[in-house]
Amino acid sequence: MKKVLLVLFSVILVSSLLFAGGSGEKAAAVKKPLIGVSIWSSTDTLGSQVKRMLDAAAKALDVNIMYVDQGHISEQVTASAETLVAAGVDGFIICNSASAEMTSVINTATRNKVYTAQFFRVIDPVANPNEHALAVASPYYVGSVHEDEVDNGINLIKILTEKGNRKIALEGWEAGDATFLLRWEGYRKGIDLWNAANPNDKAVLLDPQYGGTTSDTGRATAEAIINANPDIDALIVAGGGGDTLVGALAAIESLGLKGKIDVVSTDFLADLDEQLATGGMAAESGGHFCDPLFAFMMVYNAIKGNYEVPTDGYYEILFPYLYVASSEDYNAYAKYFVEELPYNADELRAMGNMSFAELKAAAERLSIEDVISRR
Amino acid sequence: MNETISNFKRSKYFGFAILFGLALFFWAFFKVLSPHNFGTSKLMANYLQTSIQYAVGGCGFYFIVVMGMFDFSIGANIVLSSLVGVLLSRQFGYYGLILGCLLSGTLIGSFNGFLYTRLRIPSMIVTVGLMLVLESVANYVVKLDPAGFPGKLTSANILAFNHAPWNYVVAVIAFLLMGFILRFTKLGTYFNAIGSNEFVAKSMGINVEKYKFIGFVLLHFFIGIMALLTVSYGKGMLAVTGMGSMSRNFKPLMGTFFGVAFKKYGIPVSAIVIGEFIITLIFNGLVALNVPTTINDFVTGAVLLAIVTLTNRGLRGSVVK
Repeated sequence: MKKVLLVLFSVILVSSLLFAGGSGEKAAAVKKPLIGVSIWSSTDTLGSQVKRMLDAAAKALDVNIMYVDQGHISEQVTASAETLVAAGVDGFIICNSASAEMTSVINTATRNKVYTAQFFRVIDPVANPNEHALAVASPYYVGSVHEDEVDNGINLIKILTEKGNRKIALEGWEAGDATFLLRWEGYRKGIDLWNAANPNDKAVLLDPQYGGTTSDTGRATAEAIINANPDIDALIVAGGGGDTLVGALAAIESLGLKGKIDVVSTDFLADLDEQLATGGMAAESGGHFCDPLFAFMMVYNAIKGNYEVPTDGYYEILFPYLYVASSEDYNAYAKYFVEELPYNADELRAMGNMSFAELKAAAERLSIEDVISRR
Repeated sequence: MNETISNFKRSKYFGFAILFGLALFFWAFFKVLSPHNFGTSKLMANYLQTSIQYAVGGCGFYFIVVMGMFDFSIGANIVLSSLVGVLLSRQFGYYGLILGCLLSGTLIGSFNGFLYTRLRIPSMIVTVGLMLVLESVANYVVKLDPAGFPGKLTSANILAFNHAPWNYVVAVIAFLLMGFILRFTKLGTYFNAIGSNEFVAKSMGINVEKYKFIGFVLLHFFIGIMALLTVSYGKGMLAVTGMGSMSRNFKPLMGTFFGVAFKKYGIPVSAIVIGEFIITLIFNGLVALNVPTTINDFVTGAVLLAIVTLTNRGLRGSVVK
């Protein structure tokens, strides 16, 4: 038995050396930049869309790309930066869970002279002044691309209240997640705005329950919320990568409430068209899977020396959300964002040569109309 | 009279009385605090539906926990077996889904058992390593899925186990099988003997390695059934890495704790099923009271510890493994 195991391990080790040798030869021939991606999951609904977009960009720019899934677990987020640096990346982009993790991430990047940028996230200077100061001063923290999550929250509440919903439940994914907290702030502001404008017809938002990032936990939590509050008109599934929403929709369907409870969310599902047509979903904000592309371009340009990284600030892009509330809306989205990517290889190569102002403008004008105008 | 009471206290009826008493206590507690949105007959059916998948996993876990072993790769097996089932269902419909989950689960169990018995290192260490391997394989499997929605069961034609009656049918078959194995085969006796004292069991002629291997195979066969119910319940499965599947180990394990605690009454299967139902009852009761999930986890953990301590605390001076 010992001999068998010894032979087995030897074969595995020799195989890994052969693979390492193969990539070494390639590396010696042409030194391509290697850009890392620290992401919560590269296989869930949103994560796989992000990966598809980034893979296309890496191919167009002839860059090697490497993914590390960290599950939005704080210690794994910080460890992912160290893992990527140890793997020899020239830069990496990261979607952290809480801003506190960025101290370790930025220090890792600075210590190893590796560029980094955040996607889907920004460090709030008021809530996290120390992390923000570190980011500003670091010559290797390139910047962040993020959405206006508060505004997104306000808009979703506006859609729900205008549809006549007055008692709205909320399913989050992870307590304390930076993005969830911003979206929750937006939902509360949206409710305040509605109630101020309609004092005789007030709406109420329930406290959140957290359904994790998997569909079975998402369903169990949604069922518990609905069982405990059978009179809710609407459910907001705040996010979590899409699987939480899949589970919540399964819960509503199994309870026979499809079409009776308006569901809104911020992760586009692959079957959103059907969900909108059959009343499974009332509206969704999303399309933000392109956000990491711009963080990727920022790091790429920093590595190439095209962007000088300031030590008294950083680059920042506010990425717009797309809102879809009908099958017609979705059909246009599906054509230009699902069936094909919103940028082709030529456009991605051109993006690699843009100045930051041009890149920022490209991000801010991304919409279905923008893609149509480029085709 | 005293002997009658003493006999009753050791009987399965006393065990059932405690279990139903606990369920009734928690139901009444939350019903009083939240009368309108908790504990109606319809809601109780929903709670039961949520809990059965964990009870099936808890039954499987019992086979090795009772022998003093542990398996950290349960969650990873659920993820991988579910994804194999989903992948095969694209080609073979229900046959692919069912056989994919069950065969993948059982094969993984055989592999775990083989490595554990051959490498002769603690089950925790072997299964932590295997958890990482299985998570990694699951990520490759999901990439093989040609569907636009990888890892998800989007077609209504493949969702029979998502709801009653078929999810109950599968779960009840699993519970009956578990009861049959424990009661009518020598496996149950041997597992208990190995768990009580491995060296004595060995000297009695029991092939300990063989039965530990069988324990792992049975555990993961039941995990395959749990995977079938879980992937159907959530209409899909998410592939995770970096030990992200670990949290899936603990809900089935909670039921197993009930099973081990009530083993002395001879009703481990019923204890696992009712125990998981009680845990789901507490979760839903706290949500009905609008208690945040974080506090919910705290209360559930504390209640579990209290129940197991009260029902299974060792005598003063006894050795606790």
